[in-house]
Amino acid sequence: MVKRLSDMPEVEANHLRRIECPTYDDTPLLGGKPLGARRVAIISTAGLHRRGDRPFQPGDGSYRVIPAETPAGELVMSHISVNFDRTGFQQDLNVAFPIDRLRELAAEGVVGSMASIHYSFMGAFPPEAAQPHAKHLAGLLKSDGVDAALLVPV
Amino acid sequence: MGALGHFLEREGIPTVGISLVREHTETIRPPRALWVTFELGRPFGVPDDAPFQRRVLEAALALFARTDGPLIADYPEHADGEVDLTGWSCPINLAPRPVDTLAAEIDRLAVWYDRAVAARSRTTVGVSGLDMPAAGRLVMGALEGALPPAQSLKEAIDDLRAYYLEAASAFPDPGTSKTRRAWFWDDTILARTLLALQPKLAASAEPPHKILANLTLIPATERHRLAKA
Repeated sequence: MVKRLSDMPEVEANHLRRIECPTYDDTPLLGGKPLGARRVAIISTAGLHRRGDRPFQPGDGSYRVIPAETPAGELVMSHISVNFDRTGFQQDLNVAFPIDRLRELAAEGVVGSMASIHYSFMGAFPPEAAQPHAKHLAGLLKSDGVDAALLVPV
Repeated sequence: MGALGHFLEREGIPTVGISLVREHTETIRPPRALWVTFELGRPFGVPDDAPFQRRVLEAALALFARTDGPLIADYPEHADGEVDLTGWSCPINLAPRPVDTLAAEIDRLAVWYDRAVAARSRTTVGVSGLDMPAAGRLVMGALEGALPPAQSLKEAIDDLRAYYLEAASAFPDPGTSKTRRAWFWDDTILARTLLALQPKLAASAEPPHKILANLTLIPATERHRLAKA
């Protein structure tokens, strides 16, 4: 079980300590509708994309498009890092990209609906490389009626 | 990841993020985060456990109701540690023969890979667009001759690694994901080839080869473990 960095194996903890984290002024939190009326999109940073899409490269701050109806067997991962487990994803997509769980919650009315398109970045990007893409992405999400973005790292 | 929370929320999209490394999230201070104690690579905890995944998802989504952030909520449930299979050995004899090749090893795994794909109805192999023998030839060619572009090599290696680990999950006694990773690094010709390739990539004049050698070829934990062994 992973807890704090101080509880991790030293090598893994040191690797994570070396990752530079940006700092930002606090962002005011937006209110919104109750969950049962919201439209939810998944934004992954696992470097996921459809087989045949352009794989991610080092420093790549762009995103790939994952239509909601994409079959699980079509999704592959081209994250550049080797320092995380991939066997869970190989076994079950939903442990990294919970699209079936979200679909179930939408069917049951726990959430209002599921976005028609989801997205993936590749997490090892410099934030400044992703910022213009994220701005563009916000517009795409709004045009799909999304008012709740679930951000999922790997 | 947390940076995206800032970017999107400022553009009018409410966000909730899963946090796998609490210290990173404490620094970045995204609007809303659910911190989980799961292994990196498994933000929803346990594969093939839909109720577990659903509980994590619902806990994350519940945070949309809050506007008193930036906030980090601690998810209370832990994923069970894997069974300790110290001493586990691969039940399939993949031990290198006196004269053996990467190509032969890739071929020996094909039947197990096919079983894994049949059982799951999916595979995560397919980033490079190469079939596995061709991916193996690219890796051997890099070791024995001129280095191909780093991106092509990385994609071929990622596909091969996925192929090996998916194949191993279909062994009669597959062990755990942890033992399979140890098997990969300790017992396969592919891993030995990658370890042999690392210094050659590091010595290349091309920066992408150096990045591959130093950061994205061998996991930090394996590099440390193998250096000690």
